[in-house]
Amino acid sequence: MPVTMLHHVMGVDGYYPTLIALWLLPLAGAIVNWAFGPQLKRTAGPLGSAAIGASFVATLLLWGAATQHSADGALGAHQALFNWIPGWDFGLLIDPLALLWALIITGVGFLIHVYSIGYMDGDNAFARFFAYMNFFVFAMLTLVLSDNFVGLLVGWGLVGLASYFLIGFWFFKPTAVAAARKAFVLNVVGDVGIMFAIFAIFTAVHSITFGDAFAFAGSYGTPLLFVICLCLFIGAAAKSAQIPLHTWLPDAMEGPTPVSALIHAATMVTAGVYLIARCAPLWSQNPDAQLLVGTIGGLTALIGAILGCAQWDIKRILAYSTMSQIGYMIMGVGVGAYEGGVAHFFTHAFFKAQLFLGSGIIIHALHDEQDVRRMGGLLKKLPFAAWAMGTGVLAIAGIPGFSGFFSKDQVIYGMLTHGPHSHPWLYVLGIVTAGITAYYMCRLFFVTFFGAYRGDVDPSSLGIRHPELAGTPPSDHEKEPEVEHSPNAQWFMIVPVAILIPFTVLIGWIMFGGENSPWAHFFEQQFPHPALNVPAISEGLTGLITFAVVLVGIGIAYMRYATASAQSNAVERLRSESIHMPAILTHAFGFDYALDWLFVKPAEFLGRFFGRWLDPHVLDGAVRETVISAQWLGALTRSFQTGLLRAYAFILVFGAACFIVYYALAAGGFH
Amino acid sequence: MIAFWVLAVILLASAIWCVTASKPVYSVVALLLHFAALAATYLTLNAEFLAVIQIIVYSGAILILFLFVIALLSSGVAPFSVGPNRLPKIAYPAIALVLIAVGFLTWVLGRASVAAPAASPGGSPVGPAGTAGVFGSVSDFGTALFTTYLLPFEMTALILMVAVIGVVLLAGDQTPYIATKKRAEDVRREMREAILREGGQ
Amino acid sequence: MNPMTVPVANYIALSAVIFFIGVAGVVVRRNPLIMLMSIELMFNAANLLFAAFARAWWHNAGHIFVFLVITVAAAEAAIGLAIVVTVFRSAKNVDVDDVALMKG
Repeated sequence: MPVTMLHHVMGVDGYYPTLIALWLLPLAGAIVNWAFGPQLKRTAGPLGSAAIGASFVATLLLWGAATQHSADGALGAHQALFNWIPGWDFGLLIDPLALLWALIITGVGFLIHVYSIGYMDGDNAFARFFAYMNFFVFAMLTLVLSDNFVGLLVGWGLVGLASYFLIGFWFFKPTAVAAARKAFVLNVVGDVGIMFAIFAIFTAVHSITFGDAFAFAGSYGTPLLFVICLCLFIGAAAKSAQIPLHTWLPDAMEGPTPVSALIHAATMVTAGVYLIARCAPLWSQNPDAQLLVGTIGGLTALIGAILGCAQWDIKRILAYSTMSQIGYMIMGVGVGAYEGGVAHFFTHAFFKAQLFLGSGIIIHALHDEQDVRRMGGLLKKLPFAAWAMGTGVLAIAGIPGFSGFFSKDQVIYGMLTHGPHSHPWLYVLGIVTAGITAYYMCRLFFVTFFGAYRGDVDPSSLGIRHPELAGTPPSDHEKEPEVEHSPNAQWFMIVPVAILIPFTVLIGWIMFGGENSPWAHFFEQQFPHPALNVPAISEGLTGLITFAVVLVGIGIAYMRYATASAQSNAVERLRSESIHMPAILTHAFGFDYALDWLFVKPAEFLGRFFGRWLDPHVLDGAVRETVISAQWLGALTRSFQTGLLRAYAFILVFGAACFIVYYALAAGGFH
Repeated sequence: MIAFWVLAVILLASAIWCVTASKPVYSVVALLLHFAALAATYLTLNAEFLAVIQIIVYSGAILILFLFVIALLSSGVAPFSVGPNRLPKIAYPAIALVLIAVGFLTWVLGRASVAAPAASPGGSPVGPAGTAGVFGSVSDFGTALFTTYLLPFEMTALILMVAVIGVVLLAGDQTPYIATKKRAEDVRREMREAILREGGQ
Repeated sequence: MNPMTVPVANYIALSAVIFFIGVAGVVVRRNPLIMLMSIELMFNAANLLFAAFARAWWHNAGHIFVFLVITVAAAEAAIGLAIVVTVFRSAKNVDVDDVALMKG
């Protein structure tokens, strides 16, 4: 195999050592941190961050190669790795789509690694954290850099594994362990979907590479193509927390905040979006699949937003907002607005990471307090966090000029321009959801930062029923919030967030200009461009309508939480809202119960059936019965050995008589 | 013909009496009668030498041996009282089944035809019993025994020797061979004292 | 010269009956001496058959065989009685059922 690899490396296919380095450096970092964690102590953090930083530099170096055309007209730089069996050729491919994802993974990943040096300071398993984070980056890069479905699936599974490691990082917390298991099981459901899609593709094409699969796209036949797209979407829905496989995402907030920022906001959950964007040639041939995916994306966006209005844990609010925004992305790439969906991924990576990291600063400062009802008055106490969260909220709400506005607008407008009859319902749904998003994000901001600090108020008077579940409350002697004491750790957390802020605010402008924007140029060779509808409502008008709805949402939130009268009796208002929250919202529309009754309980029943009845009674019973029957046979045979002389004599005679009778008959001819 | 039936009745009756007698001595007497009738049957079959041998060996030696053993075993207390019957109950219907098989066998065999040659393939002249040299006479038997069937004859001698040795080993006196008379008397005295000491058996 | 007046089938039947009376005796009676006597009955039944067929076929091999059987029966009776004497020399009852040491 090394010989083959060398031939491919030096031979006809391209040779891109930078690409290989980009892919493998995080793995090296992970292995070093895993193997030498106890020896490395605090240097594990900078080491891990450096590995990702080097990968980021490599990604930048590959910009040119990724956007060029190779000799045979293929887009991007292709590095073959090895052949396994005929039809299974593994390699790496970096084209504009993969390049974008790699930039986010390594760039935002690097910032989050640096942030983690500060956030995880003081944790016993410091090195293990960075090993897992590096491993995650490696797995995610495998996913986006593979040029074939199987490599993608390998990366897919590995990021699920990394997610399991990182969610359950504090494994002594039973809630964390349960959340990690839940995430992993739901992800495996997605893995199976992708596996079936690969089976179908391989049966038709006898190759696993993207190029071959897409070249054949027109010849699959509509039913098979729909099945392939459906199976792929099952995988995407599980990984990207779309309905009905989304229940793991809110619980995944049990992991440390940098994990939530990197994995469950910027990168892993967007793997589904990447998958659909990558398989654009398949989806473009099948309008039914596109309708299905777009609808589910839209519904997820709406439901995520509604549920975000009912949460009190700062990270769970952000989790539901992630689910909702990914719904937008899925909606976009689902109906065929690939540039729009990918644009929203790009901007979302920045502002969601910023929101999570900013909330991490708040959580750290308040000594692991996560319930927003116990916050308040932090504008003066944590000004930097206020700037970070504030700009993030403006971006996610879609205020014009901020990044989120441009990308969200592209997605919503895409609902009208794409599709055989366009998608007016999804258009309306996108606008309404934008308003709800603005509402609950401003709610988060107002409740957290405005008014008086409520940390010393008795939890039950705020409506908190289970204070022990909402993070660790501050101890009694602390009346005011304090900033984390270790000064260096504080800078590690502040600088990355500070770097993110200008991106959140300004990066959207590269999408300004529609067809002529830098963004469109970057992707013009990547995605198929079918004929677009010309809708009655222009893009500019769409933006205005969306802005108007967003202002309504902000206004409602202001009325409820930010006016002077609201702030003065904040405790009473929060308490009444907590108590009167509809049960359907606190139980998240019952998805957990549904999945539990549909799958978990039958599986448990089967397990009990096999373990408690079938195994002891039937299987062990069969073995026991064999033993018993052998013993019975032995006892039966032994019963002849009476020791009585006369019995033996009789048996002799009886046998002789039988022989005699037989031979008499045989000789006499049986007549 | 009449002789056959009379003798057959005696044979059967004495056999049944032998098997069902309550005392062993009665069985011996029944067996004696059986052997006598059997000798008479041999006479009707031109086997006069066999008849005599039957009387001398069977009745005269073997039955006497049985009587000796009965006498030997009677020295114990109530030697012929018996304990509970341990044969499984199935034995009795099984014996009935066997006897049915017997009847069947008899019926089958009775339908076999046996061709009888006119001259004697054994080479002996055929004549009335009592004549010298004819089939069944002593000389005819002796000639066959010591010429054609010499090997089986020698082997029976060997068997008899083995039997004698076996009986002596099994039931004989267990005293080791004593070289001198004096020594033998000493040994016998010691054995007597040992028996008296252990209270006899 | 003259064929048997009594058909040989009669002798076969008679011999068979005596044989199985002997068998019944071996199986039913518990006294070892009676059992040995029943075995002698069986031997004699066989002898009768040999003698009958010797006469039917005018072949003196049957007589030889009877002689051999008598000899062996004598030896066997001697040894059997020696065994009975040895086993039951000091027994309370002379019952074959009591020596079921090979049980199981």
